[in-house]
Amino acid sequence: MAHKIPGNLKYTIDHEWALIEGNTVTIGITDFAQSALGDIVFVELPELGRKIDKGDSFGVVESIKSVSDLYSPLSGEIIEVNQNLESSPELCNKDPYGSWMIKIKASNSAEASELLSAQKYETHCSSL
Amino acid sequence: MTKKTSLHDKHIQLSAKMAPFADYDMPIQYVSVKDEVLAVRNSCGMFDVSHMGEFFVEGKDAIKFVDYLIPNNFESVEDLKAVYSPLCRDNGTMVDDLLAYKVRKDLVLICVNASNMEKDWAWISSKVGKFNCKLTNRSEDYSLIALQGPKAEDHLIDLKIISKNEDIPYYSVREKKFNGAEIIIARTGYTGEDGFEIFCSHKTANTLWDLFLERKVIPCGLASRDVLRLEVCYPLYGHELNDELTPLDSGLQWTVKMNKPDFCGKAALEKYKPKFRLAKLTTEKGIPRAGYDVISDNGKKIGTVVSGTMSVVTGKGIATCLIEKELFPENKKFFIQIRANAVEANYQTQPFIIGGHK
Repeated sequence: MAHKIPGNLKYTIDHEWALIEGNTVTIGITDFAQSALGDIVFVELPELGRKIDKGDSFGVVESIKSVSDLYSPLSGEIIEVNQNLESSPELCNKDPYGSWMIKIKASNSAEASELLSAQKYETHCSSL
Repeated sequence: MTKKTSLHDKHIQLSAKMAPFADYDMPIQYVSVKDEVLAVRNSCGMFDVSHMGEFFVEGKDAIKFVDYLIPNNFESVEDLKAVYSPLCRDNGTMVDDLLAYKVRKDLVLICVNASNMEKDWAWISSKVGKFNCKLTNRSEDYSLIALQGPKAEDHLIDLKIISKNEDIPYYSVREKKFNGAEIIIARTGYTGEDGFEIFCSHKTANTLWDLFLERKVIPCGLASRDVLRLEVCYPLYGHELNDELTPLDSGLQWTVKMNKPDFCGKAALEKYKPKFRLAKLTTEKGIPRAGYDVISDNGKKIGTVVSGTMSVVTGKGIATCLIEKELFPENKKFFIQIRANAVEANYQTQPFIIGGHK
C-alpha cells in the first residue's frame, strides 16, 4: 500500500515527520504510522516549556489496542502543542501531515542533517 | 509451527492484519476495529474462531459427567441449552472457562479456549473415570464461525439454515443441515449481541464465509472481539481468569452452584476465602491497560487492571480490575496509574454497555 510521504519534510525511522522552518520545528506522525496504528483514540502531549533531547519520548498515541511512544526528531523546547488532538485524536488518521502534534524551538541545528529525506524514508518504509 | 484455520486464505485475500494467537495465525483486524465493533452492535459481523477447541462427550452418562465436571448447573437445565461455566481443579482454581452444549441426551459439545486446549484435555480426560461416556477431541475436524449482531438471525433465515418461525432461544443449540452437511448452530457468542456460533466442516465454513461476505456481513478480527467482550464485561482467560484464581475471585460467583451434590472443586470452594474482588472502572481521560496499577484515594496500590481498552460505544476508557479483597475501598474511590498520572476512575456495578441479545 502506498503511503503519502511529502518531499518538503524530514523523517525519523520511528515514523515521525518534522517540518523545519528556521529553528521552529513542527512535528507529527507519518501516514505510514497512522495506517499501522489503526483507529487513533487518544493522544497525550507534553506541557509547554519542557526541554527535550532528540530521541526523547514527548508523548504517546494510542489506538484501541496499543500504546506507542512519540519520539522527538530533534532537541529543543516545546513551544506549542496541538490541543485539537486531545478532543479529536482521529484527525491523526484523517490528515497525518495536517495534524501536527508539537512545535519546538530547536536547540541544535546540526541534528537536522541526521534525519531522513523523503526518499530515504520511503526506502525505510518499503523495507518493513 | 504456526497453525492455520481453514479460512486462513480468506483472511489473506481480505488483507487482514494477522498475528499469532494460541499457535494459530489469526486475523487481528481487517479494516478498522471501530467499524468492526459497530457492525456487530448495529448490524452483523463474523469471526473466524476455528482455533477454539471442540470436545465431544458421548454416551449414556455424558450429561451427568459434564454436570460433575463444572461448577454451574448442567443436568438440571433444559434439553438443547448451552451453559457457560469455569472449569475448576479439585483445589478450586480455574483450568479454563467453557461453553457446554446439550446437543442430545447422550451428546455434549464442550467448546474451550484454544490456548488452554491441551491442559483442558488432560484434566477432563482424567475425570471421566467411572462415567459411562467417551471423550473425543474433534478440534481438528471443526471450523467455527461466530455470526454476531442484530441481523445475524435474518441471514440464517435467508440462507434457509433456520426457519422464520423457529424458536431458538438465546443460549441454546440445534443440529441442522446445510447443503447436505451436518452442522451445529448455537445461539451464543462473545459479544453481548444476538448471534450464532456455527460449528461445521472446513468446507462448509468456507462456503458460509463467502455467502456471508456476499451478504455484506463485516469480517471482524480478534481485536474487535476483545473490545466487544470487554464492553459487556465477559471474562477472558489469561486476564480476569487464570490458573491461580478461583471463580470466587473473578466475579463468577453466579456460576458456582453449591447446592449441587458434587462437582470438581466443590469441597475446596466451600471453604475458600476469596483473595480478590473484580471491579469495573471507567475513565474519562486516558485509556486503562492491562497491568496498570489501581490505587485508592490515599495513594496505596490496591489492585491491577486485568483488561483495559477504550469502549467504541461510549468513548470512555473501560477496565476490569482485580482488587485485593482486604484493600477494597468502602468509599468506592479508585484511581488508575496511567504513566505519570493517577487518573480518577468511576466504579460501575453494571456492565459498561448492555448488549442487545435476546
